[in-house]
Amino acid sequence: MNIQDNLKSRFAVTLTILGTLLTGSVTAEGPKSKSIQIGSKALTEGVILGEMLTLIAEHAGYKARHLAAMGGTQIVYQALENGSIDAYADYTGTLTQEILKSERIRDEQGMRDALAMRGIGMTNKLGFNNTYALGMKEDLAEKLSIRTISDLARHPKLAYGFSNEFKGREDGWLGLKRTYQLPQEPLGMDHDIAYRGLESGTIQVTDLNSTDADIRFYKLRVLKDDRSFFPAYQCVILYRLAMEEQQPDVINAWKLLEGHFDDASMVELNSRVKLDRQSERQVASTALRDRLQISIAPETTSHRLFWDLLRNTRDHLQLVTLSLVAAVIVAIPLGIAAAKLPRFGQIILGVIGVMQTIPSMAILVFMIPLLGIGFWPAIAALFLYSLLPIVRNTYQGLTIIPHSLQESAAVLGLEPFARLRLLELPLASPMILAGIKTAAVINVGTATIGVLIGAGGYGEPILNGVRLNNHSMILQGAIPAAVLAIVMQGLFDRIEKWYVPEGLRIQRSP
Amino acid sequence: MLRLVDIAKTFGTRMVLHPMSMEIPVGRTTVLLGPSGCGKSTLLRVVAGLIPPDQGQVFFNDEIVTSQSVQKLRQRMGFVLQDGGLFPHLTAQGNAGLLARHLGWEVSRVNARVEELADLTRLPHDVLNRYPHQMSGGQRQRVGIMRALMLEPDLMLLDEPMGALDPLVRYDLQNDLKEIFCSLQKTVLLVTHDLGEADFLGDNVILLKDGRIVQKGTLEDFANRPADPFVTDFIRAQRIPNLGSNQ
Repeated sequence: MNIQDNLKSRFAVTLTILGTLLTGSVTAEGPKSKSIQIGSKALTEGVILGEMLTLIAEHAGYKARHLAAMGGTQIVYQALENGSIDAYADYTGTLTQEILKSERIRDEQGMRDALAMRGIGMTNKLGFNNTYALGMKEDLAEKLSIRTISDLARHPKLAYGFSNEFKGREDGWLGLKRTYQLPQEPLGMDHDIAYRGLESGTIQVTDLNSTDADIRFYKLRVLKDDRSFFPAYQCVILYRLAMEEQQPDVINAWKLLEGHFDDASMVELNSRVKLDRQSERQVASTALRDRLQISIAPETTSHRLFWDLLRNTRDHLQLVTLSLVAAVIVAIPLGIAAAKLPRFGQIILGVIGVMQTIPSMAILVFMIPLLGIGFWPAIAALFLYSLLPIVRNTYQGLTIIPHSLQESAAVLGLEPFARLRLLELPLASPMILAGIKTAAVINVGTATIGVLIGAGGYGEPILNGVRLNNHSMILQGAIPAAVLAIVMQGLFDRIEKWYVPEGLRIQRSP
Repeated sequence: MLRLVDIAKTFGTRMVLHPMSMEIPVGRTTVLLGPSGCGKSTLLRVVAGLIPPDQGQVFFNDEIVTSQSVQKLRQRMGFVLQDGGLFPHLTAQGNAGLLARHLGWEVSRVNARVEELADLTRLPHDVLNRYPHQMSGGQRQRVGIMRALMLEPDLMLLDEPMGALDPLVRYDLQNDLKEIFCSLQKTVLLVTHDLGEADFLGDNVILLKDGRIVQKGTLEDFANRPADPFVTDFIRAQRIPNLGSNQ
């Protein structure tokens, strides 16, 4: 039997399958050049407003896509500034205190001018003020008779858990701590997780947004800001200034939102999502119909569930396969080089090892200035994470070949390349495949964070589920991700049967 | 055909081969004999170009073995390692035919040659499709010899080929090897520490100690005209069971 030819044909089959998978999925992506990209912060309110912007743009006859709950202010704002998204909803307080803090903004006109310098336009206020506040469980606050933020100073033993953004902001905890002379060292966590912390008693005080539906849901007391520390957070829409020229009809339609939503109505909309479990899209379209007489038929949820799953699966598969294929193409030669050139090898393994220790969130954020947001930076991050297991296993597979076999290969008089192809790579193939398998399975998990920069995938329902405290929604992402990881594992066991030479397989299973 | 001129090799501070020269007679079996650490395996590896000598030259077919020439020259040498050195991912057939296939031989020609060699080395044909771990030690060594003989090399180098085999298997293989060498009229350089094996297979024996040649010749010469007390000691150290006295 001719082993080489057999391997070649197997390789061809695998390539064909991969090729079909990739081209199929990439073309399914479709052209998005003309569509309008809406972003939103990872807040229920932000997502509802994002849905409204999307629906309005669609109503105006455009193709629009909502990259929902992308992350914190910096991620979404950066995405707007570099043109990855066209618009999103933010707050005046955030603009003055965070985004434009170096500019010492005095009034609204100053804010508009500063934004225009950056190519960004701003609508008038939508009406509601979603300011920061501190909150505690009502019964505990009653017991300790805490009504104002000043009262907190009398209770140094209370544990504080703040959303990471609040904890690090000058208009958040940093300034608050100074103003009220509070002694605590707070824990930083996800905003939605903080509510669970309150519920379970791990923490006693957290930051709130004054329009949060959770205030009612978790029976919280909003502590009075008795020294008027928090500035106003009036909601506005930020958009790329160029749209005023290119799509003025959309901008005008968005401006219809101005002044139509007061605090109470926003709390109401948030509650419908968070407490009544309606989808943001549904809530947004109802609000548009009731307040602006823009009627859009919302899609039914059962329909969406299936299509969402399909879309998330497609996005997730794309992320995993594309990054993995790229990693295999780059990592195996790197691994070979590392094994053959020991000094270069130490450098390669060192650099890639360090790269692995950079948190995935950080890598994603680093990628934004280079690749924008969405699909490609997520691919790049997953690619970088896939390198280490494959490079290391290739290196190890080649270097642990016993000395006697290396000598035996040397005395045959094969040139180095033939030795690599005929002897060393086949001998190392079980290790190399194990490395690829590890990378694939890790990738399936890591790809869930791709949603933070709008890459879609199973992370979308997981993140939304966490935000909405909706367990079934979390499972809509978690279960398929787990299933996909198992499928990957099975697929690679199959591939292993194909590629690992028979003689090495029998040896390993006695 | 094989000539060593003023070869020496040092590992660290230890001189494992003191300057030595020798010519290996064509068509005969020369045995490098000596205790462990005497430099015999190192010498064999210098000949095969696996270890570069610190000084001196190895001439093989009138060419100097260098790092440039060695790749090509090795295809004219057959090297048999102690454990056979078979590749676990290839069958006996695949191992023996590897180099020939790489050099572009027709499949039918490779198969014919492998079968011919299986007959010569007395390897049962059904073993040809087995992987190394499915074979006995003796079978693995026979495949190793087949692989070395595949391209009809001018020179056979064997590094303790029987070292890992049990006595009965070793006895059979020694018989077969002698027959093969005689029938093919090969030039052979064989490394062993076993006096009986050296006597049985070798036409000439070179006794080494601490990297120096102690004596060249036949074992008969060694016994009758030892060049050094070590020669006598080495011969005496091979214990021969006295079966008669206890009966």
